[in-house]
Amino acid sequence: MADDRKKMFQKDLEIKFTKAHGDNKMEGGEITDKKVTYYRLGVDQNPRKVEMRKAGQEMADKRGLVGYNPMMHCGGIPLGQRALTPSFISGTDMMVESDDLHYVNNAAMQQMWDDIRRTTIVGMDMAHETLEKRLGIEVTPETINHYLEVLNHALPGGAVIQEHMVETHPALVDDCYCKIFTGDDELADEIDPQFLININKQFPEEQAEALKAAIGKTTWQAAHIPTVVSRTTDGAQTSRWMAMQVGMSFIAAYNMCAGEAAVADLSYAAKHAGVISMGDMLPARRARGPNEPGGISFGHMADIIQTSRVDAEDPAHVALEVVGAGCMLFDQIWLGSYMSGGVGFTQYATAAYTNNILDDNLYYNVDYINDKYDGAANKGTDNKVKATMDVVKDIATESTIYGIENYENYPTALEDHFGGSQRATVLSAAAGSATALATGNGNAGLSGWYLSMYLHKEALGRLGFFGFDLQDQCGATNTFSFQSDEGLPVELRGPNYPNYAMNVGHQGGYAAIASAAHAGRGDAWAVNPLIKVCFADDMLPFDFTAPRKEFGRGALKEFEPAGERSLIIPAR
Amino acid sequence: MAYEAQYYPGATSVAENRRKHMSGKVEKLREVSDDDLTLVLGHRAPGSDYPSTHPPLAEMGEPECSVREMVEATPGAKAGDRVRYVQFVDSMYNAPSTPYFRTYAAAINFRGVDPGTLSGRQVVEARERDMEEVAKFQLETEMSCPALASLRGATVHGHSLRLPEDGIMFDMLDRCRLENGVVIMHKDQVGRAIDKKVDFGKPMSEEEAAKRTTIYRVDNVAFRDDAEVIEWVHTIFEKRTAYGFKPE
Repeated sequence: MADDRKKMFQKDLEIKFTKAHGDNKMEGGEITDKKVTYYRLGVDQNPRKVEMRKAGQEMADKRGLVGYNPMMHCGGIPLGQRALTPSFISGTDMMVESDDLHYVNNAAMQQMWDDIRRTTIVGMDMAHETLEKRLGIEVTPETINHYLEVLNHALPGGAVIQEHMVETHPALVDDCYCKIFTGDDELADEIDPQFLININKQFPEEQAEALKAAIGKTTWQAAHIPTVVSRTTDGAQTSRWMAMQVGMSFIAAYNMCAGEAAVADLSYAAKHAGVISMGDMLPARRARGPNEPGGISFGHMADIIQTSRVDAEDPAHVALEVVGAGCMLFDQIWLGSYMSGGVGFTQYATAAYTNNILDDNLYYNVDYINDKYDGAANKGTDNKVKATMDVVKDIATESTIYGIENYENYPTALEDHFGGSQRATVLSAAAGSATALATGNGNAGLSGWYLSMYLHKEALGRLGFFGFDLQDQCGATNTFSFQSDEGLPVELRGPNYPNYAMNVGHQGGYAAIASAAHAGRGDAWAVNPLIKVCFADDMLPFDFTAPRKEFGRGALKEFEPAGERSLIIPAR
Repeated sequence: MAYEAQYYPGATSVAENRRKHMSGKVEKLREVSDDDLTLVLGHRAPGSDYPSTHPPLAEMGEPECSVREMVEATPGAKAGDRVRYVQFVDSMYNAPSTPYFRTYAAAINFRGVDPGTLSGRQVVEARERDMEEVAKFQLETEMSCPALASLRGATVHGHSLRLPEDGIMFDMLDRCRLENGVVIMHKDQVGRAIDKKVDFGKPMSEEEAAKRTTIYRVDNVAFRDDAEVIEWVHTIFEKRTAYGFKPE
């Protein structure tokens, strides 16, 4: 296909590499130049580094113990021997400092993870059956509304039964609440709107009908415990905190006996039988409970991100937002901190959601697919091309070579993605997502991912680092095997899938492939309709319809997080 | 019929160069003295003995072992040398070699080597004198251009960056410089200053680098144009996929 499109990264790279930023002297030149002057200006060239150095000096003076000092780098050769340049958040006009995309420096990133970790979904039907069939208590929309009023007092830490109880201060836990949703329109009409996630309102009509059909007449609580609680404990605490407050609220709302045996049934339902965690518990060698990032399947991640309901006609955009969110959570936070440490993981992950390089590759692929396969990359089910090896080979090869040639034709793009791991993620995410979009088949997308890795390695004679090279070179053998311990549909794979446990930089890409397959079909969800609806909630501090924009707001210090402690610490 | 190794597919100059690197039949372009090599590697002082981690094997009274009898130890292992490394960085702007082809060259043509392959660097660990043999071979032959490839033990950043005006691949630690038309190294692999400037000779011209390189580039030999290599990659991919599928 003739490549006469304007590159989506062109403007970003021109500003990043041919305009001065701070004192980096980058004014002039072209983004296609193969040579450049290296001024070796150190940290003095970059406003954020200067600010950080000043803060490090002040901290050392105050506490009498040295800390951050950029001259500790390489025995006195500080960062900034090449130009330090900002980046654009893909899909936005936000230009941000690279440092501000480390999650420690970015409140939005922290809140995204907080909002996932502190969320649990608990079924109401088992509890209602217990009340009605065992105790003969009538459950009506009015009693449900009353129960929810009690629960929204109790869930943040308000007492409902006993006297002389300590309670949490509401202003510290104002992000905590519970809403419900159901596929039953009649019941939904009877629920006080403040308590309802209104599927009809939040989703396009076609998606709403599919979701309601899947959920049926069941009713579910979407609960978010306080950020401050979740941060102090862990993800496994979420369902426990919820279960305790659910039990107390049922007792209070339905005037039950606090000690009667039915309460145990309510607790059992809330803690085990009727609870949906965002992430599964991990095995002992990973040692994490439910609702920790390593247990969040790629399909769940695809469902947590909500772009599919606000921009359903652009499935590539849906996949790109999942890439951003997945790379941030799985790479920057899970692999980068839970499983490892330090700062390097941010470099890997941000390549996939900055400067529109991946976006350009994927939208090129969309055009290629639509030209060659009669609109197969558009949303739909009747337009898909059959997932054959020939199709996988064709799309993944074209996508990968296009992406490689971008790096070759635009040395500044190569310089932006200066590590092979970054390039590997971007090239394979584009190839895999495109194949999934065209076929509506996530594992065909995964197959495209692995072919891209092979092509990339042979073209450039290099790929990434051994830790993932090995896994990317053996992954094709389990793409279509669903035998126990050998393979899974991509939607059910996750960060702890055996071959992915060290796949630095890749996991957001896998999540995008899962997302692309379903967004491409126009599905309302990828794996779990309950999770899709649970996060279709405008009240959450983090906007899950636009994670990349939120990261940009975080970097620009425009994002308002929850769970802050300013109320209980000395005023500054 | 005697087997003749084919090494690599492809009908282009890049494919041919890859075959040369893998076979070890590469052209010698420069001389690097033993002392200069020792200096830039930075593991010991030139002229000093090799530090050892165990006595020579001949003095150790090794147990009877058929494998030991079949496989002769390398000189470094025989002497009890410690394990040390050499690490190369190759520019993506037509450096002669690439990490995977350095690895293949080492693993196919040398014994007792432990290559590690990354995107920006390639390391070979081996007993010290064995490693030096690999390092010298790769430095003296067409596998290296002093401007586009360099020894970097740490802080390897540079392989994918634009070239500075003088054409010497960017090095944060400034280990290599162009002086009087030749590339000199005035720091060792990890950036410690050394006592003399080690001369690695003239950089390859752009034309020569393009002719000798093992990397495909759209502005030289495009990967897209080497149909045989792409077909071969597809074949490997399909076979691996089918093998794992096991539909029965």
